[in-house]
Amino acid sequence: MSDFYQTGIITTLHQLGKSSLERLESELLRFSKTKPVALVLPALYSEFEGPAMPGIIQELTKVKYLNEIVLALDQASEQELQRVRELMATIPTEVRIIHNNGKRITEVYETLARNGLDVGQPGKGRSAWLAYGYVLARGRSDVIALHDCDIVTYNRELLARLCYPVANPYLDFVFCKGYYSRVSNKMNGRVTRLLVTPLVRSIQQLVGQHKFLAFLDSFRYPLAGEFCMTTDLARVNRIPWDWGLEVGSLAEVHRNYSPRRVCQVDIAATYEHKHQALSPDDAGKGLKKMAVDICKSIFRTLASEGVVFSDGLFKSLLVTYLRQAEDTLLKYEADAMINGLDFDRHEEAKAVETFTNAIGLAAQIFMENPMSTPLIPNWNRVISAIPDIFEMLRIAVEEDNK
Amino acid sequence: MGNFLDLILEPLKELFLRFKAFVPNLLAMLVILIVGIVIARVIRLLLVKFLTAIKFDSWSDRMGFTKLMRKGDMWAKPSVILGEIVFWMLIIVTLMTGLNALQITAIDQLVGQFFSYIPRLFSAAMIMVIGYLISGFISRTVLITAANSGFHYAKLLAKAVNTLLIVLILAMVMEQLQIAPSIVLAAFSIVFGGIVIALAISFGVGGINAAKRMIENEAVTKREDAAKDEIEHI
Repeated sequence: MSDFYQTGIITTLHQLGKSSLERLESELLRFSKTKPVALVLPALYSEFEGPAMPGIIQELTKVKYLNEIVLALDQASEQELQRVRELMATIPTEVRIIHNNGKRITEVYETLARNGLDVGQPGKGRSAWLAYGYVLARGRSDVIALHDCDIVTYNRELLARLCYPVANPYLDFVFCKGYYSRVSNKMNGRVTRLLVTPLVRSIQQLVGQHKFLAFLDSFRYPLAGEFCMTTDLARVNRIPWDWGLEVGSLAEVHRNYSPRRVCQVDIAATYEHKHQALSPDDAGKGLKKMAVDICKSIFRTLASEGVVFSDGLFKSLLVTYLRQAEDTLLKYEADAMINGLDFDRHEEAKAVETFTNAIGLAAQIFMENPMSTPLIPNWNRVISAIPDIFEMLRIAVEEDNK
Repeated sequence: MGNFLDLILEPLKELFLRFKAFVPNLLAMLVILIVGIVIARVIRLLLVKFLTAIKFDSWSDRMGFTKLMRKGDMWAKPSVILGEIVFWMLIIVTLMTGLNALQITAIDQLVGQFFSYIPRLFSAAMIMVIGYLISGFISRTVLITAANSGFHYAKLLAKAVNTLLIVLILAMVMEQLQIAPSIVLAAFSIVFGGIVIALAISFGVGGINAAKRMIENEAVTKREDAAKDEIEHI
């Protein structure tokens, strides 16, 4: 059980006392009459072959308050799509599958491209964005929840707690981010622990108090892939298609809404999913690639809010970050010791070293071209360019699901 | 015996002579077909390249033609589909020209009928395209005007206007193509007339009270004006 301390400028909803899934679900069922909830699942076919997705499906069969489930399926052939359809058929809620590799959805992407709308490379960001578009096109839901499909420790309380703050009409939240501890026999979540938090605090140290940095620092797990939002927000938010997805989405939320309407919720005591390799020698993959994309997204957001980046600032940042990260590392070592967790200090130090390189690389890319990571345009912008895009998307998905 | 052989050989000789006379026609048909197919392919290629260069696909996306194709479960690019349509029309024209080269009276008549029908096909296509554009424009104008006037059912009204216009355009297209013109005319008159009568009745019956109120208000205003005039103004 966690404490009840409120951190930062957003609201934190803790897991206090004994949880009551039945109460949460019965209230959500009531709320869903006025605020129907759609669940978006960005998934790869490989996740259906592993242990995660079958477990998620089993849990979703027991959920009654969802209005629709939109599965954005990537890297799947026609036969694999058929197999996914069969697996998803056990869920009583209406399920729609967006087959990202199918000819119809491919043509939808081409339609966007030929009209000058860059939706980036295939990946979670693009899939999720298209799924929001489909939910908006159908116009049947007011709330969109999204979680990853590689969660091995999934249970439906995670979903209920994630949806509750936005689905509850008495609470005026438009965006809710999940958080959880990434602990097994050791502490996971290296990018959040050793990159994002020390980096944000280092920038604060250099440029002073900044609203976006304070906002970002308020999140206990800013890189969590689980969040819930209103459809209005999904319509106006632009998102990055690369690993900067989570940070970029938070930046857009910060830009469009007051922090008073944003919250984070404790959704799970334990959370386990697939891990990325550190890949210290290759900036094109693994955690290093993730770190570069996240740093670029933070730099770009701050630059768009008027922060001036210079070579000198970046040089100082590297040193400041290193000191911050080393101090953080010591804190986590102490935390691991008292809780009897494994703590490989050498591995953690290697991660810090890799992240320092990543910050340098991101700074270099940013200085060369500050606009290097274009955001996927928001749906309002897309509709103004192609008024019939919702109809086309709806037809494509409906045909794919026949 | 000689006569008997003549009886057998004469028809064969006749057949051979006819075949000999027919072979050049057949060859001409084959040449026309091959050349026609090659030309059709080249034209398709050039047309698609030209349409891509002038951004026809983006224009179709914005004008609503792409949506129309997607509704028919056609998922190629609009330029490719237009290229295919032109290609197959050229193939049909080639086939007809090729058949004409055979110089068979029955086929000649068919070919003549086909070529005389082409202008109708062309004008029907033009009516459909222009009509679709105009109907889209009008329905959007209705939607914007009604929505800006605070009308609650603006979307429904725009959809109804669009549907009515599409019905009108389809009737014009069918009439142009001479497909059962009398039935089309009768069906169109019944449907369109029915809709107008239904609207007249619904507005008439539904608006009785409103009309009554308006007339009464008008009468009261007039009486008040008359009463005011009796007062001697200082």
